[in-house]
Amino acid sequence: MPLDYQPILLPNPGRTTAVALTEYEQRGGYDGLRNALRKKPEDVTTMVKDAGLKGRGGAGFPTGMKWSFVPKGPGPKYLVVNADESEPGTFKDRDLMEIEPHTLIEGIAIGSYAIGCELAFVYIRGEYTVAGDRLRDAVDEAKKAGLLGAPSKLTRADGTPFSLDIVVFLGAGAYICGEETALIESLEGNRAMPRSRPPFPAVAGLYMKPTVVNNVETLANVPYILAKGVDAYKAIGNPPNNTGPKIYCLSGHVKRPGNYELPLGKVTLRQFIEEYGGGTPSGRPVKGVLPAGVSAPIIPAANLDAVLDYDGIKGAGSMLGSASFIVMDDSVDMLWAATRMVEFFRHESCGKCTPCREGTMWLEKTLYRMMEGKGKESDLETLQFVSKQIAGNTLCALGDFATSPVTSSIKHYRDDYLAHLVRIEKKSDKKGDKAAE
Amino acid sequence: MSLSVTTRDAITAEVAKYPYKKTALLPSLKLAQKEKGWLSTETLAEVADLIGLPHSHAIELATFYAMLFTEKVAPVRVEYCLQLPCALVGAEDALAKTAKLLDVQLHGERGTRHGHTKDHLIELHGTVECYGACHRAPMCRVGDDYKENLKTDDDLQRLVADLKTRAAAAKSQAH
Repeated sequence: MPLDYQPILLPNPGRTTAVALTEYEQRGGYDGLRNALRKKPEDVTTMVKDAGLKGRGGAGFPTGMKWSFVPKGPGPKYLVVNADESEPGTFKDRDLMEIEPHTLIEGIAIGSYAIGCELAFVYIRGEYTVAGDRLRDAVDEAKKAGLLGAPSKLTRADGTPFSLDIVVFLGAGAYICGEETALIESLEGNRAMPRSRPPFPAVAGLYMKPTVVNNVETLANVPYILAKGVDAYKAIGNPPNNTGPKIYCLSGHVKRPGNYELPLGKVTLRQFIEEYGGGTPSGRPVKGVLPAGVSAPIIPAANLDAVLDYDGIKGAGSMLGSASFIVMDDSVDMLWAATRMVEFFRHESCGKCTPCREGTMWLEKTLYRMMEGKGKESDLETLQFVSKQIAGNTLCALGDFATSPVTSSIKHYRDDYLAHLVRIEKKSDKKGDKAAE
Repeated sequence: MSLSVTTRDAITAEVAKYPYKKTALLPSLKLAQKEKGWLSTETLAEVADLIGLPHSHAIELATFYAMLFTEKVAPVRVEYCLQLPCALVGAEDALAKTAKLLDVQLHGERGTRHGHTKDHLIELHGTVECYGACHRAPMCRVGDDYKENLKTDDDLQRLVADLKTRAAAAKSQAH
């Protein structure tokens, strides 16, 4: 039985039009911002910390802690929203921006107040033109209503006017912009290539000023915390490590793909696929599930009872990441699946770090050779060796991500790889037989 | 041929939006491409000059970002996602059928394929990039528009009819 849960991030499942300001305010929208402005900025940060909100973009870093790293004092500070949603299987931020733009804007406003930012940027992937247009319209609405602007009509706890402008910026096609320092580089007008750290963005980020980069869904969680309080937020989910709601993306071999908002830690992967996704269209058993797009190890069918939260998915040998679940039934050849995923990473490697640039190319070449029936059993060792040379040796996580489809598929589905080699041997035998005839 | 006054004004407005003018480079290149269809060496130089940046900065971006084109592209550009979520539910088949309906010969290997109609008005691409429409797969992008749920032959017939209408419009505009 599906959970009895009223969604708060995407409260209108199936809706395709944007929620306008009046409708948003009728359901209590911007109450969180008004509550925040009655408090000291540092108290807002403390509330978000106490609520246990973790970044929803993939890394799961505590949001309040990230805000607290921004130095106090004068000078510009920036809040940058990472809306470069490009992970295969991930489409939650798209819905949030297209349907609930004011929830994001309110989250940006609260975050900006907490860190002392007066100019925030939303970096949206270039293909999301509808999301960009709707968010711009919503920003204009909020400005006209006096909720945003330099200054706005709202007043801060210290009696000064609340001042914030939001710039909506569309990228131009580069997965690597999902990495926060590459995103900052792109926003500065450069090629999107990750920076070496330290310094971290909280100290020297956009234009070398203190910067916080938060994911869309992360910020969309913030208004509820400020409007309803820490305890109400913590009542959703599975505290202490897994509080709040989460939007899970479901795609691949399921009858009902889509975005599903659920409390963290209340549903197992099996329940999610069967009760929410309707199971596989073919009726065939699930062979494996990718829980974080193509960037985390595949979860084999034996681990489908893992609970959907940070700890549960970690316990199943993978990571929750962006919570983008790609389901594969037992008709899938995992060598083919790994090849398709590695093609993505080879294509999207920015080229800055040699292990990633060269390594993804060699992974792809080796997998192609195997797919063409020219592989050897030693290719499995080559794939693992190359993966080892990439992982941990690059400036950003793309290199690590590129290796996980390969290493996890070899680990759990070695027979799929060997089947290609066996087929060749059989072919060779047949040729031999013919020659003997 | 230089950029129109409208585009040049839009680029000037972009520069005014940001604390540092270089941030305006990427959106400005997109504005120029919207008018010209692609970014020639001359257009790149003009955009850089308008913002007050070295030409090399414009070239750096144009040769890095997938949505910027430094070679001419067809007026109707179709990009099918062939990444895993789409590929699992028939994207390869949808691409092949679309190519057949348009009489396009596809070249390239595995996740990356391309071809064009004989009149060069429609380009068809299979890509490994995900466009964030996995719940409405298979899908493709036609220019900036998303075409989703391309599940049946009827869906593909409708898509191809739309592509031909767009191609005819582009042809008449060119004349």
